[in-house]
Amino acid sequence: MFDIKKGAQDKPAESAPRDAQRPDTSPRPEASRSAGLRDAAVIGPSIHIDGDVRGEEDLLIEGEVNGTVQLKNNSLTIGPNGKVRADVSANSVYVDGYMEGDLFGSERVHIRKSAQVHGNVTSPRVSLEDGAKFKGSIEMDPQAAQSTQRNNASKPVTPSAPKPPAAVGPKPETPTAIKTGAVS
Amino acid sequence: MATRAQSVTERGGKAAASASGALNAPLFQSLIERLRGAGRCVVLDLGAARPETIRLLCEFRCRLDIVDLTDGLDQLNSEQTPRGLRDRAESLLPSRRRESTDVVLCWDMLNYLNRPALSMLMECVAARGRRGTLAHALVVYSARKMPVRPSTFYPIDEQHLASLAPAQSERDAPRYTPEDFALCMPRYTVERARLLRNGMQEFLFRL
Repeated sequence: MFDIKKGAQDKPAESAPRDAQRPDTSPRPEASRSAGLRDAAVIGPSIHIDGDVRGEEDLLIEGEVNGTVQLKNNSLTIGPNGKVRADVSANSVYVDGYMEGDLFGSERVHIRKSAQVHGNVTSPRVSLEDGAKFKGSIEMDPQAAQSTQRNNASKPVTPSAPKPPAAVGPKPETPTAIKTGAVS
Repeated sequence: MATRAQSVTERGGKAAASASGALNAPLFQSLIERLRGAGRCVVLDLGAARPETIRLLCEFRCRLDIVDLTDGLDQLNSEQTPRGLRDRAESLLPSRRRESTDVVLCWDMLNYLNRPALSMLMECVAARGRRGTLAHALVVYSARKMPVRPSTFYPIDEQHLASLAPAQSERDAPRYTPEDFALCMPRYTVERARLLRNGMQEFLFRL
């Protein structure tokens, strides 16, 4: 009578047209989710996090994050609905949505056409699509980028001090896929 | 991991194809040649971020500061007091750093500033520069009219620029002369100037 599994499978399909417009370089967390092998955590559209986000897996932000985001060896995607006001450090960073803060990508930073970025970008590979809004600085000196990488790497990875619970909008109906190392 | 800075233009070819024609810009070429012989440099672009600009500059050891002044032009031009004008100009420009600006790209933007705004903005830019800083500008010279909003210029290669001309109505062009610039930008000297085939004057200013 009620096929819950079927409903759950239908949900990711709603975002299919949006994903179809993405360049091939993007990670595709939705695809792996539908296969039951999720390889990217998701901060959903209704989630609002104030604090530090760290982790050891790829992350897609469709909600709002204020603070810092550190994914040393993984990729971060700020989705079309994502709003990030944070200093971000990741292996690869893909921006579709709104980003305000300093952005470091140890491998690459890709700013897509729908993105609005205010901040400073440091990465050995920076790409910007036609139509993207960008205001800030882009560090294209490989020596400076490596220096920033060394500084980031030398930062101690200690759990952040306890903070008040994250401000959350409407309660998520399903368990939200946040499996980063620390979400506070 | 890549050891050399690289940038990728996803749609550079498409933009170039739709451009309103390549513009031979010899002073821009000379600027790029100077960059090639220099070490690390800081480039301040008063215009909007363009993939083509990033692609060209990624060949150099540089930091690119992008101001995207277009949205702030009206506010800048409407300021009434020198104090308000300075505060507005400072808020639009990147914060001052220890590292001074080496090159300023003013493609079409100066045409859309009234004299007080032009004077204050370039004064604030000069405060971020050093002796020898170069500013490359494209200024409407022959034409009496220009589009209401600035066109977006971008490099096709090391000696050609192109523009994405906005389809819109026109307004009077200020047609700033070297004498006007000498009055409004006393800290800058005109190193060279060339008339381009689109009727714009290409200026290379030196601080």
